[in-house]
Amino acid sequence: MAFEEDVVIKTEGLTKIFEKGKKRQVIALDNVDLEIKRGEVFGLLGTNGAGKTTLIRVLVGLLTPTEGKAFVLGRDVTEDIDYIRDRVSLLPQEAGIYDRLTARENLVYYGGFYGIPEEELNKRADKLLEIVGLKDKEHYQVKGFSGGMKRKVLVARALVIEPEIIFLDEPTTGIDTLGARVVRNLLKMLSSEQKRTIILTTHDLNEVSELCDRVGILNDGKLIATGKPSQLEEKFRAANLEEVFTGLVTGEGVYGGSTP
Amino acid sequence: MMRPKFDAKTLWMIRKEVREVFRSRWLILGFIISPMFAWMFQGAFLSFIVGQTSEEPEQVYITIEDDGIWARTLYEEIYANRSTLLIDPLVNITLEEGQQLVADKTISVWVLIPENFTQELNATTKSTLQIVVNTASFRATATASRIDTFAKRVINAAIVIRDLQVNWYTISPEANYGHQLAIFLVMLTSVLAPAPYISKSFAGEREAKTLEALLVVPMSRVKILGSKLVAGLALTAIYSLFTAVGILTYNLSIILRVGNLAPELQQANINRYTVNAYTIPLIMFCQFLLLLCAIGIGVVISCLAKDRATAESVNSMIMLIPTFVIGILGFTGSLLQYGGVLLWIILAIPFSHAVLFLNAVLAGTGTLMGLSINVGYMIGFTVVFLFIGAKLFEREAIIS
Repeated sequence: MAFEEDVVIKTEGLTKIFEKGKKRQVIALDNVDLEIKRGEVFGLLGTNGAGKTTLIRVLVGLLTPTEGKAFVLGRDVTEDIDYIRDRVSLLPQEAGIYDRLTARENLVYYGGFYGIPEEELNKRADKLLEIVGLKDKEHYQVKGFSGGMKRKVLVARALVIEPEIIFLDEPTTGIDTLGARVVRNLLKMLSSEQKRTIILTTHDLNEVSELCDRVGILNDGKLIATGKPSQLEEKFRAANLEEVFTGLVTGEGVYGGSTP
Repeated sequence: MMRPKFDAKTLWMIRKEVREVFRSRWLILGFIISPMFAWMFQGAFLSFIVGQTSEEPEQVYITIEDDGIWARTLYEEIYANRSTLLIDPLVNITLEEGQQLVADKTISVWVLIPENFTQELNATTKSTLQIVVNTASFRATATASRIDTFAKRVINAAIVIRDLQVNWYTISPEANYGHQLAIFLVMLTSVLAPAPYISKSFAGEREAKTLEALLVVPMSRVKILGSKLVAGLALTAIYSLFTAVGILTYNLSIILRVGNLAPELQQANINRYTVNAYTIPLIMFCQFLLLLCAIGIGVVISCLAKDRATAESVNSMIMLIPTFVIGILGFTGSLLQYGGVLLWIILAIPFSHAVLFLNAVLAGTGTLMGLSINVGYMIGFTVVFLFIGAKLFEREAIIS
């Protein structure tokens, strides 16, 4: 498959079907074609069950495509998953945390799985814990942390390996307003200064408008629209991204425009 | 499936798993208390039973195949000291009758003074008396022990130094000396002990949603599974260590219990009831294998269960039913006394092999072949279940 030089994620006809017993099938991804370029912040939008998490899981090798192809960093996810996993990080939607480990240990242990020296990991953990505002709690077991604090630890954990691509499934869910602001600023910095590629899912359309260079809207496993938020607003002659999103996924159409 | 290699990442993973496990204080406490409880309870129970039953008279069968002076003397002395030896009644039977009673497993204690008993004693100063005892009965065992000690005293009372060797033939060799209780408790605690760790480590990770992030790290799932198992092995090592402590405590309780007996009975009771120091490593080894079996089964259950509570419940049910069946059958004597389909069912359960192994080791009746079969079966069973567990762990559904 031909790649443009700066394309880091590419899918062609990507389909994932879950067999539910002998008679029932659920088509979680339906013929998805997608390209994401290096350094982009790409937002995946969709209602619950639209296929956002399934798409991310296929891209990190947790699920195998039923049909079609998926490439990450130029490698096929079904063939070179070890290469890919060494270079990507995932913050799952309902990511849990090791309650009996401290905040620092959660970061350092996770980084250790990537073969990063402990000394280097400790330096990175220092920096990240400082950024997310948990430096003073670094030696506490996280079982006593609030949901938002745990989420911050998890965001820091996803970043500790300094991945080329970061998959964040609803990264600010459960975090208070100030905490969410910290995470968003961190993601902006990673994108603008370090040119890391970020793929995030969220239900917060303001967050998408603020962070994402481009978005993709999934509905019933189909990728029904992609583009810059401003381009989509213009294309569908909508006042904002929320109107685009609502019009497309409900099938009611967009004011002034039309559903594809 | 790739064979796991212990590279730096795997060692790192093991370190994380072990550290997490060792922070679960209640889990560790359970692994310390369980084996010690099993053996200390056995000590207390045995002391209680021996104390309760040894004062009651026991029916003893006797067969005299020799008409020489020493056989007559021994018989007359036993007969004259029936009340001291707590024998009532002393029933004379023929060799054939005795053998039939043994075959029928309806005998408690049978003393056989064999042919040429006197002749051998006169010629070589050594002879052999045989005592057949149902060691599943505490009282019978205690009675046989008294006869053993008494017979040696009678024979050695002569001016000429003589030596009477007493051979014990147990009707239920694997049920020797009432160790069934310890074996049952050892088995019960061993199969249940790993359940909290295994269910937490697999189903618990699914439930806590930590598994998804873990499965994305650049390590094969077999290595992740292997790392978790190594942490489980660290726990089994603790269990085995405290098994040894429990056995030593048990032995101490027996030594203290016999302190108020007559001096000649003290050593005999210590020899009979304490666990031989040489067998302790074998018991620890068996327990280790038993724990591995339990871990193997637990991994399969945990990989199938959606949450920790389900995993623990199913695990307990699957472990408890065969354990109780085997344990209770063990109390009735030999597991091998059953025949037909039941025997095959018994032998298919890995815990049966642990019972057979422990009984053989504790009774000193084990053969290399028999013990090897028991060990081989338990290892084979564990390997098969870990293989199934590894396959289940590699499924996509593990994260759903």
